[in-house]
Amino acid sequence: MQQISLKINGRQYHLLVDDHEMLSHVIREKVGLTGTKVGCEQGSCGACTVLMNGKAVLSCITPAMRCDNAEITTIEALAKDGKLHKLQEKFVEKGAIQCGFCTPGMVMTALSLTPTLTKEKGEDSFLFQIKEGLSGNLCRCTGYKKIIEAVVEYASEYTDKEQINEIEVITKQTLKGAVGVPRPYIEAEKKVRGAAEYADDIMAKNALHCKFLRSIHSHALIEDIDFQDALNLQGVHYIATGKELPVKFGVLPISQDETAIAIEKVRYIGEIVAAVAADTEEIAVAACKLIKVKYKPIKAFLSIDDSLNDVGENEKIHTYGKFNNNIHKKAELRFGDQPQGISEADVTGKMSFEFDGINHGFTEPHAATASWDENGLTIITATQVPHYLHRALAKVMEVPLSSVRVVKPYLGGGFGGKSDPFPHEIIVAHLARKTGRPIKVRLSREEVFLTNHGRHPSRMTVEMGISKDGILKVLDADIAIDGGAYGSFGVVTSYYNGVLLQAPYKLNNFGFRTYRVYTNKPQCGAMRGHGAVNSRFAVESLIDDLAFQIKMDPCELRMNNFLDSNTLTVGQYRITSNGSRESLEKVMEQSEWKKRIGKLKKGKGIGVACGFFISGSALPIIWNELPQSVVHLKLDFDGRVLITSGSSDIGQGSDTMLAIIVSEVLGIGLDKIFVLAADTLLTPVDFGSYSSRVTFMVGNAAKDAAENLKKEIIEALAKQQDINSEELNFTDNRIFSYDKKIDLSWLEVVDILTANRGAVSVSGKYISPKLGGDFKGAGAGLSPSYSFGAVVAEVDVDTETGYVKVTNIWGAHDCGKAINPLAVEGQLEGSWHMGLGQAVSEQMKYYKGLLFNNNFLDYKIPTSLDTPDIHANIIETIDPEGPFGAKEAGEGAIHPVIPAIANAVFNAVGVRITKLPINVEDILAKMKENRLLSEKMNG
Amino acid sequence: MILAKTYIKATSVGHALALANESGGSFRYLAGGTDVMVNKFQGNDEADLLIDISDIESLKDISSTDSHLIIGASACLDDLKKNQIIALHFSILLEAANAVASPTIRKTATIGGNLLCENRCTFYNQSAWWREAAGHCLKCNGPTCLASGGNKNCFSKFVSDTAVVLISLNATIEVIDSEGISIIPLENIYTGDGVNPRQLSKTAIIRSIQIPLLEDSISVFKKLRKRETLDFTSLSTAVTLRKNGKLRIALGGVHAKPVIVDGSIGDDLNALISQSVSKTRIIDNDTYSKSYRKEMITVFLKRSFEVLKLS
Repeated sequence: MQQISLKINGRQYHLLVDDHEMLSHVIREKVGLTGTKVGCEQGSCGACTVLMNGKAVLSCITPAMRCDNAEITTIEALAKDGKLHKLQEKFVEKGAIQCGFCTPGMVMTALSLTPTLTKEKGEDSFLFQIKEGLSGNLCRCTGYKKIIEAVVEYASEYTDKEQINEIEVITKQTLKGAVGVPRPYIEAEKKVRGAAEYADDIMAKNALHCKFLRSIHSHALIEDIDFQDALNLQGVHYIATGKELPVKFGVLPISQDETAIAIEKVRYIGEIVAAVAADTEEIAVAACKLIKVKYKPIKAFLSIDDSLNDVGENEKIHTYGKFNNNIHKKAELRFGDQPQGISEADVTGKMSFEFDGINHGFTEPHAATASWDENGLTIITATQVPHYLHRALAKVMEVPLSSVRVVKPYLGGGFGGKSDPFPHEIIVAHLARKTGRPIKVRLSREEVFLTNHGRHPSRMTVEMGISKDGILKVLDADIAIDGGAYGSFGVVTSYYNGVLLQAPYKLNNFGFRTYRVYTNKPQCGAMRGHGAVNSRFAVESLIDDLAFQIKMDPCELRMNNFLDSNTLTVGQYRITSNGSRESLEKVMEQSEWKKRIGKLKKGKGIGVACGFFISGSALPIIWNELPQSVVHLKLDFDGRVLITSGSSDIGQGSDTMLAIIVSEVLGIGLDKIFVLAADTLLTPVDFGSYSSRVTFMVGNAAKDAAENLKKEIIEALAKQQDINSEELNFTDNRIFSYDKKIDLSWLEVVDILTANRGAVSVSGKYISPKLGGDFKGAGAGLSPSYSFGAVVAEVDVDTETGYVKVTNIWGAHDCGKAINPLAVEGQLEGSWHMGLGQAVSEQMKYYKGLLFNNNFLDYKIPTSLDTPDIHANIIETIDPEGPFGAKEAGEGAIHPVIPAIANAVFNAVGVRITKLPINVEDILAKMKENRLLSEKMNG
Repeated sequence: MILAKTYIKATSVGHALALANESGGSFRYLAGGTDVMVNKFQGNDEADLLIDISDIESLKDISSTDSHLIIGASACLDDLKKNQIIALHFSILLEAANAVASPTIRKTATIGGNLLCENRCTFYNQSAWWREAAGHCLKCNGPTCLASGGNKNCFSKFVSDTAVVLISLNATIEVIDSEGISIIPLENIYTGDGVNPRQLSKTAIIRSIQIPLLEDSISVFKKLRKRETLDFTSLSTAVTLRKNGKLRIALGGVHAKPVIVDGSIGDDLNALISQSVSKTRIIDNDTYSKSYRKEMITVFLKRSFEVLKLS
């Protein structure tokens, strides 16, 4: 411990710091400036960037002692006199902020970058300098597009004029209109200031810190745990082991197969074996090292093949289940007559595919704080689904549902990875009850990777048949997915892999067989595009191949086979609005497809693919009669409308979406609307942010609520004078009739409404219509509406190294109606960027069940330099049941981009990609085979 | 309890050496510290005493004599481009420096630190917990090399991008320790032993890097990595052709030390390539496979030769 003096944001501090303490720790924990984020702890993500004497440094790898007498500038210092810095304004205006977790670091990097930029070498060079300058800062939400736009504009003004002119900032006050007007998130300012509190930013008084001891074996019996030495360590308050938390949980009612801490045996390397509550994180870590566990390793199952073999009851990973092996779930559905389809086809193709698992890579690591009081448990946690966590906590803690409050603070990205109830959440709740103190936990990036729940490693064989004139006759898929050690969403994932192949093309003969196995690896679950991303890849690759075989333009082939609007699929999905054609036409036009296809030189290629996705699962995860979503509105004397909703804004902009919808219905500005969301005490139940359901379902509930409030207003007015409700307009903060007999300001109306009554509360709800067939499995993939889309990708393949450089992504997505076009574009760009990662660089690699690449250096999320120009096109088809015609935009777009890239590789070098991520070595090997083949054929 | 850790900022090279000599336990010099701090975070570096030499101004100077460009070892990678001589004569060094890590890291990381960057391996650059779960490898005091499946040698990769370029440029380094000052060819400090990859005395500090100015040369640098930033090398190649017809090839990422092949204009280029390949010691401890990295040596060198108009 030494004392250092440093100036942070102009204020002098004299602080006692540990000699080896990092600057990020001092800034966050000792000074309390939590705008500086920690995303990876090892200098790979840039979230912790601050300025030290004006120079950008990564505070997570900068020793605090080095900063003695230094001046540190953090994000909190940028806004002056209540006004944002111009760069911050640009971030807000351009929609460069989604989850906001990378934002402070990104802004600090951009700030230090700007003075070094030059336009002397032209605009392309200027853009490159910016992309390169930001390339040490990872963003998982935006695909960097809007961030780069913000920095380019700011830096251009800076470079051109040496100083920035006054910019008219687009804020919620200055923007007119509601639905369809592109606008920044309502909380964007808070995020860009570094003022938004994420789970790890919440500093509970008197809290203890929790750390875990994790298994070093894939599959082993726990023979003994000796934690006496650890317990004797000064500062250790409690050590929990598995037997204290015997109740099993899981997100699906049919897969309640996990305990918070391993009991009797461990099922993967990284599973929690013991949990320590101590005064500090450092003490908790030291205590974990003192815990002695005696394991007896047993046979580990690490691959799909291992897990298919029949094994003894004692060898099974889980003893429940009806199979003699480690298969978790089998499903098969068949429609039409597949042998007939094969016989009708002129050309058939059958291909096998393999996919590595991938991780969500959200920038904010999991964190939670739990505490108990007279009303029970409160947990503040980074979760996408407060409702299911609420249920799981009540179950495992064995307390009534009424004793559990789950609060979601600002959340740094989810993508499906924060949508299960997690062991760490249950453990801190338990430790808080045992110690009577708040307990805080934050996972390291390594632990985030071990927690996983990412996309399943999969393999599949798909067969399709087509007529000579390009009509699809049959599709048959045989799919196996590697679930890891626990169930998670796996049963749904299994089904989605199959059922979500029945669109966007018309198929009369369609079937699939799917199974999910348990293996001794971190569990897999839901990730953006849930369940169907890999099988979509297979089908779109096969279609591309069939088009090649019958010498038909792959776009034309797709056009010939699209389902229509207002139709049923073979598996009885009700298709309402359908923008497949418009989407494909748009990307063909923008990419100049017709001019370029077949005319590019070797190494250059373009490829196309399409996709579709559910707009919310029509069925709840846990069967009950609750509406899918309920939204409450409260209007009080001051004219403010408070929206309360259980829905989780995870960076996708759902709070803003709710505000816009209410604003549109009531004709009042967003400045009069406040959103309080995701607090299971204060807000009505919403099932959560998964299955791309929020805009459709919660949006509809909000619209319903706003319309109910409107009715209340009209009734109140009707009591005063004779009115025809049809003739009343709610626009621009006024309520008026065409004849102007009624012409009232919002506040005048509020006075009338609240007279002798006070605050008015109304409720709105959304209940999905009854859908689907009555066969087993009919419920999988049912949705009140579906999104559709298409992507054309362009690649440049180095024929000597096999390196694939994606140079352009043109995408179009039918989201029904863009409630907030800026947010929709952001979702699309982010989806395509994430798909790019799965296509070219991301994979989870294991060594005997131990994850190799559990950090942001070795798990390769594309940086700003690796991300091509992304051209987003919103297609609007106005869905009949979506709120103002809207449907999903958060997940579906990822489906077409990956196969489009692979098909572009085929177009470039004639190599069909059958494994993801695309492997340069495979490309070289197959090119050699091709060359040999063509030489032989020519010879 | 938790061990006392110490951090001291050295005010001069002499001060740093004195601190190092006096330190009873383990110590580590810290220049930029961007690798050391990550290694500490992962438990691979357990030095109790950190001697921060980043404030010693004399170690940051970039100057030249009649014969040499002299780069202070603590010069930041990002600052190299500000020097006219480097920009004019050694743009290849800038290429290599810009290929290191990410732009923000390069503002802190130093050239000397990059030369001394610890060797890397997928089994080594992991947390203490991970390495325990894997069973410790040779480089973390285990009995055998895990990456090679039981070899008694450590194959951790030499990964300094600037070193391969500097070696191709015949750079020397000025080393100072309690014995005095010595000037040695850069390549001489690398042992080829993955566990102990450098043979400098324990207290030695690299004071500067000296690049010969008189020999007019052209050079080509290439680096193999998955992403266009951030990643450590899977293969780095530097080829320098001097006016006198001498050719020097240096490879990184394919051995525990840099691989060096000397030749001349007129040599059989394929022979130079196969000589380079045969000197490597590549195993599967990288994001790319052994065979691919080997294959890419040929591709990179051929492309370099083309740029140098040798082929």
